[in-house]
Amino acid sequence: MESARKGAVRRHVAIHLRPFRAQIALAAGAVVLSTLATLAGPALVGYAVDRIDSDGDRGALVTASLAFLGVALVRPLLERVQILLSARAGERFLASLRAAAFDRLQALSLGFFEGERAGVLVSRLTADVQTLTTFVRQVFIEVASSILLLVVTVSVLFVLSWPLAALTVAVVAPIMLVSSTRFHRLSRPAYLAIRDRVAETLASLQEGLGGVRVIQSFGRERWVFGRFRERSRSQVTAWRHASLVNIAFFPTIVAAQVAATAVVLVAGGILLGRGSISIGVVVAFVLYLTNLFDPLARLSEWFGELQSGRAALAKIVGLIDTEAGIAERADAVEAPEAGELRADGVSFAYEQGTAVVRDVSLAVAPGERLALVGPTGAGKSTLAKLLVRLYDPDGGTVSLGGVDVRDLTLASLRRRVVLVPQEGHLFSGTIADNIRLARPEASDEDVAGALARIGALARFLAFPDDLATEVHSRGVRLSAGERQLVSLARVELVDPAVVVLDEATSAMDPGTERAVERAITAVTAGRTVITIAHRLSTARRADRIAVLQDARLVELGSHDELVAADGFYAALWRSWQAYGVAA
Amino acid sequence: MEDTPPRSGRRAAWDFLGRCVRSQGRFVVWAVTAGVVWQAAAVAAPLFVRKAIDEGIVGGDRGALYLWAGVLLALGSVEVVSWAFRHYLAIRNGTRVEADSREDVFGHALALDSRYHDSVDPGDLMSRAAIDAGLVRRAVDAMGHMSGFLVTIFAASALMLTIDVRLALIVLVPLPFLSVAMWLYSARYREPSREVQEAWADASTVVEESVAGVRVIKGLGAGEPISARFRRKSDYIVDRALAVANVDALFFPVLELLPMLGLVAVLWFGGNRVLEGTLTIGELVALYAYVMLLVWPLRTLGRRIETLQRALAGAERITEVLDARPTVTELVAQSHKVSFRGHVRFDRVSFAYGDGAPVLDGFELELEPGESVALVGPTGSGKTTVAALLARFYDVDEGGVLLDGKDVRSLPIAAVRRAVGLVFEDTFLFTDTVHANIAFARPDAAEEDIERAARAAGAHDFVLELPDGYETLLGERGYSLSGGQRQRIAIARALLADPAVLVLDDATSAVDATKEAEIQEALKTAMTGRTTIVIAHRPNTIALAGRVALLDEGRIVAAGTHAELLGRSQRYREVLALDEAEAAA
Repeated sequence: MESARKGAVRRHVAIHLRPFRAQIALAAGAVVLSTLATLAGPALVGYAVDRIDSDGDRGALVTASLAFLGVALVRPLLERVQILLSARAGERFLASLRAAAFDRLQALSLGFFEGERAGVLVSRLTADVQTLTTFVRQVFIEVASSILLLVVTVSVLFVLSWPLAALTVAVVAPIMLVSSTRFHRLSRPAYLAIRDRVAETLASLQEGLGGVRVIQSFGRERWVFGRFRERSRSQVTAWRHASLVNIAFFPTIVAAQVAATAVVLVAGGILLGRGSISIGVVVAFVLYLTNLFDPLARLSEWFGELQSGRAALAKIVGLIDTEAGIAERADAVEAPEAGELRADGVSFAYEQGTAVVRDVSLAVAPGERLALVGPTGAGKSTLAKLLVRLYDPDGGTVSLGGVDVRDLTLASLRRRVVLVPQEGHLFSGTIADNIRLARPEASDEDVAGALARIGALARFLAFPDDLATEVHSRGVRLSAGERQLVSLARVELVDPAVVVLDEATSAMDPGTERAVERAITAVTAGRTVITIAHRLSTARRADRIAVLQDARLVELGSHDELVAADGFYAALWRSWQAYGVAA
Repeated sequence: MEDTPPRSGRRAAWDFLGRCVRSQGRFVVWAVTAGVVWQAAAVAAPLFVRKAIDEGIVGGDRGALYLWAGVLLALGSVEVVSWAFRHYLAIRNGTRVEADSREDVFGHALALDSRYHDSVDPGDLMSRAAIDAGLVRRAVDAMGHMSGFLVTIFAASALMLTIDVRLALIVLVPLPFLSVAMWLYSARYREPSREVQEAWADASTVVEESVAGVRVIKGLGAGEPISARFRRKSDYIVDRALAVANVDALFFPVLELLPMLGLVAVLWFGGNRVLEGTLTIGELVALYAYVMLLVWPLRTLGRRIETLQRALAGAERITEVLDARPTVTELVAQSHKVSFRGHVRFDRVSFAYGDGAPVLDGFELELEPGESVALVGPTGSGKTTVAALLARFYDVDEGGVLLDGKDVRSLPIAAVRRAVGLVFEDTFLFTDTVHANIAFARPDAAEEDIERAARAAGAHDFVLELPDGYETLLGERGYSLSGGQRQRIAIARALLADPAVLVLDDATSAVDATKEAEIQEALKTAMTGRTTIVIAHRPNTIALAGRVALLDEGRIVAAGTHAELLGRSQRYREVLALDEAEAAA
């Protein structure tokens, strides 16, 4: 499980890094060169000191100094190359990863959204991605070059004096090995816990902002704030826990460094006394030890960011790897232009055992208008979602023009079959942008044309900046009816063959209601229409009515037939007449 | 956010950061102290390495060698302990400041009125409370660290001066130029770092909206275009982030070059001194080590300028929210409980959203305690505005809204909202149990009270049929109720608060016609003795109220019973025309 997850992270990183491998290779080359340049310093000083000490050789000093000057001038250039290349590769890698995460979010089935709090999903694509950015842009290079420096330094130490080097490694390696294994084990859960707390805080924040009107209207600001504060503080606690894990680790680095320096000084003194090494070697050795431990100590500054970044990456990859639910088959074909929309023995349950739709068979001919009728919870909306493939049935098939919808490409299916939900949700942007939601390439004329065809153009031209009015700007509020009109204009622009309409239940004033009715008539003209009818007056105008009761299709026929049959629908109709139109 | 006061955003951001730092009081002092001790120990170490080499190894004094090695060990322990304190305090202070900032933003957002919330995207507020607060954390987090590094720079410089003044000066002369470079860099960094933050906020809004509007997007097959929109925002982030990186690529190499030249100078001039015999090898090594000590602090200091600039950009965006002032404010802070009989009067009320055309214009309406009125009118006639004004979500532009004869602006906001129960058409339920959702206004309510409210709203029966009854989880992650069921829970929630005035704003619009009949009876009972405004279009909902007021173009144009109005008001018949048509059909 653990290793599978690690594998997934590595695989995704590899996929998204691949396009930038040239830049990464060059940046890595620059890092290697500048690391070697860093190491040149002590070597040149050691060389010069040895010569000065032994024979007072000025020539060696000149050589060493000139060489060092060259290094000093080249290193900043290497640094510049590395910054430019790694920034480009890093930022584009991040963009590629977040685009993949967003695409996956779009591909996930509705069921996923119903099972996860919106704030948690938002957190994956915002807070987690930001944390990863710090990791990739700042931490990764530092950590990588530190590790490189470490490896090269150890090799140099062995070249300088293998007995001293062996002694150093003997002192340092056990301390570092034990503590870093322990650290790794403890820190991973600690930082994953932080990511979870961050997501929960964001979820709580989103809910609080979404429900601000309700909260204010009941005067519950303080209570809601208290709950949010609890979440918010648990993030502080999670961080504290992580900091304690770091604290347990870092001292071992310094301990190893100090122990190694002390041992080298003492042993170096003894070896020098015996004349088996020169003073220059001891000097270079001590300087290299600084080289060895500085990067380790610096790593400590990045501990938090490093582990946060890894945890964030794991969370994002977790999202990308979530099963899409509604997926396109590899051999999917284009949806037919039109044709019969058909359900054959379709069953569906959100939770095992409680079927919401049970063995429903139904065929809707091209151009037919069908109404779905039934009491709340009978399965009307779920059946509609199955017909447009927002869910796949547990049993039975849904087909369009004789082809199982699961064999069709999703893009072509969504162009042919469109579901209009009850609420006309608005996105930030202008009215026109909202209408071309599904077809962003549509021109302003196309948008105006669609509005004109549904008879709503004049109403929207009356807004302060007509169709260019921002929907979230001050003093602009679209009524429920106007949001519905936007929703219908979107459909008109997509121009599908089948429209599944979840009738708006909210009572509007008859003026607007008539405008919406007119728009619905225009949008549905010449198309196959399936309406989830909440008003029987709507159902009555349909060619046929499918009556659902307790997840089953119980009656199917025209209004007159069903009334004549005197069954469940007839009873609903009588009750509707009694209450719905009482004048 | 056009209402931001005129004080400069950058200034406000500095003030905010200052407040953040001060809020942690002595813990900041401790963090700084720990940072200073930590680096002081690190700076002192080469001093003793030099002693150990010069006296112990070169001098051949074994005793001195052991002594200085021991001192190095002690120094290492000090370094470890102070590092641990610094690290702990950095995270403590940073995360607390982050939590405070995010709580400030949220708390303030809860206090801001509807005029504000009408004009901002929740996604934008979220990015300020989450991402921008995180940037402030990083800056506070870095404080102890940075003060330690400043100490290193000064101490290393001072120590170099004690070893060899001339040599030290040669090495240190470029440092002032470095601060000039940092200052220049800091200014160049400001714009792109603010733009990066804004780009992030934009992208967050797309994410937030795509999750909130997922049904629309899926139903319409708009996934592709939304993804494309996100990609555009994401590409803009890349673009701005690379603009920042370009500044980095100029600045960091310079930061790198100066200490490197210092090292070369140490080798050349120091080496010559050693040849002349005026400098020991140990001193040369120590000088070299001190210049090395400067490299990392300078480099990190450069990075931290970036951190600081980003924190300032974040703080600026946070203060924009915190500086927004609610237009609905309390005239006097009154804490005493006020109870109301439920007399309501709208006295020549005029109101407009923003600078738009007036929605209400000379609106008059009076309800005696316990009386019920149905408010009927076409879209845009201002019905919902009436409800919002009564609960003081907005303040009137002219006239007054009076509760028991007192202008609501003179009453405590909390008392007014307690007295006025609003149920909107679009119901918002929290991710919590049915029980907790109904008990939202009174979490300590007794079980019987909750059931009674549920019954009165016609919700009790279907709640019992839910998987876990009243303990069923609702909201985003919970059981999805139908629109009508949600509305009934919302009505129960309002009834449990037992308000003196109840406003049902299209509150049963999504309830099945068959179910509505059942609710009618229960609602009638709940309305008894309670002042009620029913905003409705369906005749049977209108029938809940004793009389009807017809609202058109911002004022009441006709009033009377439903039957009277049908008889004498042409406009009333027009407004209800569709239902008439249905009756005739």
